[in-house]
Amino acid sequence: MARRNHIVIADPSTIIREGMVAMLAKLDGGKIDVAEVNDIDNLTEQLIILKPDILIVNPIYMGAFSLSQIKNEADAPNLKTIALVGQNIPQLLLKNFDATINLNDNLDAIKNVVTTLISEKTTPKLELSNREKEIVVQIVKGLTGKQMADKLCLSTHTIMTHRRNIASKLQIHSSAGLTIYAIVNKLVDINDVKNTISKQEKE
Amino acid sequence: MYKIGNYTPDDSMSELICNHYPMLMVINRFGISLGIGEATIGEVCQKCGVPTHTFLVVVNMLLTGRTTPIADPVKLSETIDALLQYLTSSHKYFLNFRLKEIGEKLFEAIKNNKSELNPIIKLYFDQYVAEVNEHMTHEEQEVFPYIRTLLKSQKTVDNYSIDNFSKHHDNIENKLSELKDIIIKYYDTDSTNELTSALYDIFACAQDLLSHNDIENSLLVPMVKEYEKQLQ
Repeated sequence: MARRNHIVIADPSTIIREGMVAMLAKLDGGKIDVAEVNDIDNLTEQLIILKPDILIVNPIYMGAFSLSQIKNEADAPNLKTIALVGQNIPQLLLKNFDATINLNDNLDAIKNVVTTLISEKTTPKLELSNREKEIVVQIVKGLTGKQMADKLCLSTHTIMTHRRNIASKLQIHSSAGLTIYAIVNKLVDINDVKNTISKQEKE
Repeated sequence: MYKIGNYTPDDSMSELICNHYPMLMVINRFGISLGIGEATIGEVCQKCGVPTHTFLVVVNMLLTGRTTPIADPVKLSETIDALLQYLTSSHKYFLNFRLKEIGEKLFEAIKNNKSELNPIIKLYFDQYVAEVNEHMTHEEQEVFPYIRTLLKSQKTVDNYSIDNFSKHHDNIENKLSELKDIIIKYYDTDSTNELTSALYDIFACAQDLLSHNDIENSLLVPMVKEYEKQLQ
């Protein structure tokens, strides 16, 4: 699902947060959602709840936290990070950030940094591979992971990976949803899945 | 220009609702009656027996995404209690009214289009409602009683805390959004007023469920966590 771009600005200063929010609102025709976090101690928790694409934070407030630790704890390996800096700070503190914004930067400079990071966001390929289509067919026919693995001579682990990829490509997570997809795309005939459907209806 | 958040007890209740109509849901769930006239938020809340600060915490969170922590234990306990009542009434709304209404509307809207997909759409929706039912029943029967005991007994419980709940708290809105995506992408039919209206309702209901989850995750859970901390 094409989601709006989501940015978290974490800074204890209201002026800085609101200032960044106002500037970001001018980018990309307002297609960016910005959330503010003022309490850096709770940053990880907030990242878990908000699931942003980009985090903007001043490295000097990160204190004892390391970026990799935060990404790890928030389960957000793909989170992009922008260092928001006010004065010269040691290069070492910036090394894990994807980009830097200086408090003196003008709107164009900020726009550049943010749009570059947004366009780097990987756009998933939506077409299913032949193998994935094969697996969709088995799912809608009601086969379990184990049965599929036996039938297609794959490990259950591989089947799981395929299922995850199918779900993320199609943004369909249920077998009823996949059934609709499979029928519309002529991967199966409705008569092939009638039994499975009526079995599920009875459950 | 109207306010986007940080409403205070002295702001007008009718202005709040007219400027942000999703707040109609909020006053409904707090049991606030209409006919509020020119009264302020504080006056209306007091009249209806709703703690004003709880009402404002919910409203301001929904409007801005921001929350204000409550440190005072009495206020905290009162707020948690009011939130539980709010959430219970919200559960009833979804299960006994809204989802039922949407289901009937949706099935009626696709009835005349003799598509082979109809039974699967019905199956999908019924499975979804069953999941929501299970999700909310779990909260009503396990989680909320735990919190009520916590408030009453003033003691933490061994081997259970609100963390057990928040770690497994799924987003129930996704699957409903997915249904409307599937219909929009794959269901071949003329665009009728009935189907359009049913889809519109699904969009609104998904948004409402998202707000409902937000109240649980961003208000209830942190508050109960804070309360557990104070008891320890």
